[in-house]
Amino acid sequence: MPRPEQKLIKLTIDGREIEAVEGTMLVDAAKQGDVEIPYFCYERRLGQPVGACRMCLVEIEGIPKLQTSCSTGVRDGMVVHTQTERVHEAQNAIVEFLLVNHPLDCPVCDKGGECPLQDISFGWGLGRTRVVEPKRHFQKPLALSPLIAIDRERCILCYRCVRFSQEIAEDWQLIFADRGSHTFVSTHDGHPYVAPFSGNIVELCPVGALTSQPYRFRARPWDIEGAGGVCTLCPAQCNVEFTVRDEKVVRVLIREHDGVDDGWLCDKGRFAYQAIHVDERITRPLVRDGGQLRPVSWERAFETAAEIARHQGRTAALVGGGASNEEAFLLQRLLREGLYSHDIDSRPGGALPLELARTLAAPALQASVPDLEFAHTVLVLGTEPLDEIPILDLRIRKGVRRNGVKLAIASPRPSALDPNAAVSLRYAPDGEAAFLSALEAALGHASSGSGDDVASLAELLRSGGEDVVIVYGESLAPAALESLVRIARLLGLEGRDGAGLLGVPASANGRGVREAGALPNAGPGYAELGAPRGRDAAAIAAAAAGGELSALYLLEVDPVRELPDRAAWEAALHHAGLVIAHASVLTDGLRDHATVIFPAESHAEKEGTVVHPDGRLQRLRAAIAHPGEVRAGWSVIAELARRCGHDLGVLTSSMAFRQLVAAVPFYAGITLEQIGGRGVRWPERPEAAALPAGGGSAQTPGAAAGTVQPAAAGQTNGHLRLGTYRSIWAAPEVEISPALHYTIAEQLVELSPADARRLEVGDGDEVLVGSGGTRLRGRAAVRTGVPEGTAFLATGIAQASANHLTEPLVEVRRA
Amino acid sequence: MKPLIFDNIDEPGLNTLAVYERRGGYEMLRKALAMPREAVLQEISDSGLRGRGGAGFPMGMKAGFLPKGDMPKYLTCNADESEPGTFKDRELMQKSPHMLIEGIAIACYAAAITQAFIYIRGEYRLQGDILEAAIAEAYAAGYLGDGILDSGQPLSLVLHRGAGAYICGEETGLLDSLEGKRGNPRLKPPFPAIQGLYDGPTLINNVETLATVPHVIRLGGKQYAEIGVERSSGTKLVSVSGDVQRPGNYEIELGIPSREIIFGLAGGPQPGREVKLWFPGGSSSPVLTRDDLDLPYDFDSMAKAGTMLGSGAIIVVDDTHTVLEVMSKVVKFYAHESCGKCVPCREGTNWTHKMVHRIESGEATPMDLDLLASVQTQIIGNCLCVLGDAMAMPVGSMVAKFRPELEAEVEAARERAGTPSLASAGAGVPVH
Repeated sequence: MPRPEQKLIKLTIDGREIEAVEGTMLVDAAKQGDVEIPYFCYERRLGQPVGACRMCLVEIEGIPKLQTSCSTGVRDGMVVHTQTERVHEAQNAIVEFLLVNHPLDCPVCDKGGECPLQDISFGWGLGRTRVVEPKRHFQKPLALSPLIAIDRERCILCYRCVRFSQEIAEDWQLIFADRGSHTFVSTHDGHPYVAPFSGNIVELCPVGALTSQPYRFRARPWDIEGAGGVCTLCPAQCNVEFTVRDEKVVRVLIREHDGVDDGWLCDKGRFAYQAIHVDERITRPLVRDGGQLRPVSWERAFETAAEIARHQGRTAALVGGGASNEEAFLLQRLLREGLYSHDIDSRPGGALPLELARTLAAPALQASVPDLEFAHTVLVLGTEPLDEIPILDLRIRKGVRRNGVKLAIASPRPSALDPNAAVSLRYAPDGEAAFLSALEAALGHASSGSGDDVASLAELLRSGGEDVVIVYGESLAPAALESLVRIARLLGLEGRDGAGLLGVPASANGRGVREAGALPNAGPGYAELGAPRGRDAAAIAAAAAGGELSALYLLEVDPVRELPDRAAWEAALHHAGLVIAHASVLTDGLRDHATVIFPAESHAEKEGTVVHPDGRLQRLRAAIAHPGEVRAGWSVIAELARRCGHDLGVLTSSMAFRQLVAAVPFYAGITLEQIGGRGVRWPERPEAAALPAGGGSAQTPGAAAGTVQPAAAGQTNGHLRLGTYRSIWAAPEVEISPALHYTIAEQLVELSPADARRLEVGDGDEVLVGSGGTRLRGRAAVRTGVPEGTAFLATGIAQASANHLTEPLVEVRRA
Repeated sequence: MKPLIFDNIDEPGLNTLAVYERRGGYEMLRKALAMPREAVLQEISDSGLRGRGGAGFPMGMKAGFLPKGDMPKYLTCNADESEPGTFKDRELMQKSPHMLIEGIAIACYAAAITQAFIYIRGEYRLQGDILEAAIAEAYAAGYLGDGILDSGQPLSLVLHRGAGAYICGEETGLLDSLEGKRGNPRLKPPFPAIQGLYDGPTLINNVETLATVPHVIRLGGKQYAEIGVERSSGTKLVSVSGDVQRPGNYEIELGIPSREIIFGLAGGPQPGREVKLWFPGGSSSPVLTRDDLDLPYDFDSMAKAGTMLGSGAIIVVDDTHTVLEVMSKVVKFYAHESCGKCVPCREGTNWTHKMVHRIESGEATPMDLDLLASVQTQIIGNCLCVLGDAMAMPVGSMVAKFRPELEAEVEAARERAGTPSLASAGAGVPVH
């Protein structure tokens, strides 16, 4: 559905003339005239108002009864009064009613001092009570979940948490139980409220009924400061506010940005801040000495790392995690200018032809995040938003629910969004190129009426409306991406406002580090390199294992943990003479092989910029001082370069940013001030034209067109195709955050019910998954929706990760 | 006056299709189907038939609000008869279920609706069973189903049993419950006629209203409007209960003196007793006193007297009961039935309940009656639906009309409980 047209109207509130968009709810419009109307249950982000708390009653001329301003859209010429005797009486009444059962335990309540009920009682209540009757009692506090405590006595039953669960996250776990004044918020059968976005209800709660277990009793509002930042634990790059007490992050809140997160946050972003202040975090430089990593001085660490100067032409670098644009930019300068190597990569799926990379980054093909909400059709292709860019899962749901966006899912693995989709189809793991060429063919022909999945998807894309947004995963093979570009052009998405592609990178700042030049075949700004070009990630592994490369520089990435083919990376790290890493957690590959580890900054400490998958440059600001001996990443790279005899000329992070802007033509003229707290989408600026045009990608698909269906079990000798998935929780930061310990999953092997029956494996049974002499132990999860013939294994986890397996077929049996 | 709805109501077997048809049943459906839809709707509008469930909204006007067009539209019959003192729909459905089905079929034809529901309270098990049997008979006879009576007009009718909540008789709470959700009222607007069941335009009417429709068609709208008085046309089923000698359902012509119903039909209180107060339209209507017995029993006269005709349930209380006793029962009911969605109703009914309990246990002072009255004013007009007002209005009226008696009861309760008398304690009145 295209964005609704906005018509400005005039209305009068308390004698002030206000201009507002027609249909805006009166409570919101009033703010524009500096009139505050109190409310509890209303929350714009939650959609349709419920009008339950009755706090926002106002008088509207021409309507005899008081009206709830949260549910009244403004009309031209409306005359509203919020300060009449009648309104005051109603407001006093509601405050008094709310306090009939609310315990006035504000002195020991976490919400005290930042509590809407407190504020509104002071501002709009009578300041006295006539209640002498006993209040209602519940057992309290109870653990609603491992993350959230619930105090039902404080609850004013405003509906916000229940509406979030039912209408935003759509997990339908929270309900009201019982009736009348006995009503309480609960889950079905008292099951814990475990869900990826559960923490949002703590922030939605207008009283102290829902509190964060990790934050409970940690601070009072006058002890804390808020610091704006960006969460770089995943590519969603949600805008956040860190609550800081004594240089420690004690809480993470939303910092609503319609263009990024729509005001929601996942539980990883909300609770994995704990990883900043745990003992497991690396806060001192480490150097391997006598086979052991030992804490050393920075001087010693730099001395050891400066050995890299002797590996000129034989050094490779990988960039991942939350590395900033500046860090990636400086590292590629060190590598290219100082060490004469182009062996730098940041894309796990293999390098793309430069033309293709440019085309995919081209402004004409970029969709923005809000486009997801207003498109006619959204196609989710080869990615699971819930795991890979969680906040977009909510955005897509919102579009479908509120605006009637038609959703299509095409992926190997069942998606959490399947129930919302008009068309949902599965292709075999690694079968994306075949699938996309089939789709391309189907789009090329007039409706065949064949009625298969691909044909109905093509029909939906072709005739569902012009504004199509395709959200695709970075793991798609280059051939598939070529096909995707042609499909986008066939659908006329190029240059179309409100339509286009939105690529989900594997790492949080994948887009930014690539634009900064962390690619083997392109410099900053996708600049053409002279020959020779560098090696991509897989080639780096092979070359290091084969002795052609002798030093590896790992910027916030442990390839043994993060990248496919664990054995190859084990060998590469083992054979490399020097392994330098920036890391905050000692993961396997680093523990066993790193020579030098520089303690990396957390996202609450870093100064710099990152790029959102839709092209929005966002700024990271330091919310807290560096703990221990941590130093800024950019300064470590600059210092190392200086010691290698190649001064990068960078003394501050903003100097690094200016160098980056100078090197990337399509960033030209952007300043840190412009980026500010809201970011700048570079594809929207005229300077975006400086991105060199990509190729025509005209070649038609070759033999790739073929079956989309997974091979039948018979053809694979009883083996199953291997598919992988990376859970939202599969991150080292999550593992060391105590509050999130309950999420740490073992290897869950997802099987179709038919395969499980054939293999005589039941849900929850221990299984062995093997290929080519490797055996992984895991637990079977039998899921309807998993296509027969495929097993999905978790990757990115600490133990028994699927990146141990390299063959396309695996054998699954009961352990 | 010759009864319309209750004509032959006690004839054995009237609940079966055979007897109903022999009595001319479904002839009016045939007649309606032979007319253009608009003409049928016009007859209903002309009749001035006002909703018999409580709100008294003209049915023709409500049906006229339904948008024209091809979207799915629904009719929902509200058979969740849960207003205390009301039992007219129960007898109607039990004894003449086909009259309701015929009325539904005619209304659906008039409003171009093809899907109808009857939402019946779960406690009406027997009536539900009878209706189910009648619906099955009507399907078999072609009065329901694809192309009723070969007219090309399809109609499907489903009986849904509630689980027992007063709030599900509120039209939007009913819709949520029917959709399988927790039965809570919805914010209005949008009104059900525009966006109701499954977000489609929905006509919601009470059992008695729909059962009246065949009679409107039989007599013709204008003719029907001749019965009764101006703006309260037709006959009304009245449930009389409480302290009368002949409690029961009576069909009356609207506008007759109330005394004629309470004394003439129901026999008045037992000999030697006197009417103390009466509810003219269910327990949610503000109470009237013996001085009001000569008021004409119609919508506007009741409204003018500061109360309402409501569901037509007259509850008579004689002088053997205290006002406090009556108030306590009313308050307990509404506090128990408040759904809890909006603050003034949830907390107001609960607080009132606790206050009345405090009065009964002798821990209150006459000043608490001011507080009691003040809380009722704080509820009225501030709630999401009318449930809060349904308690606050009668309670407020009892305090206003029986203040001296209530004060005496406060004192009497203190005496029973052994709380020191206020007179002996001097000025020891708690300050609120």
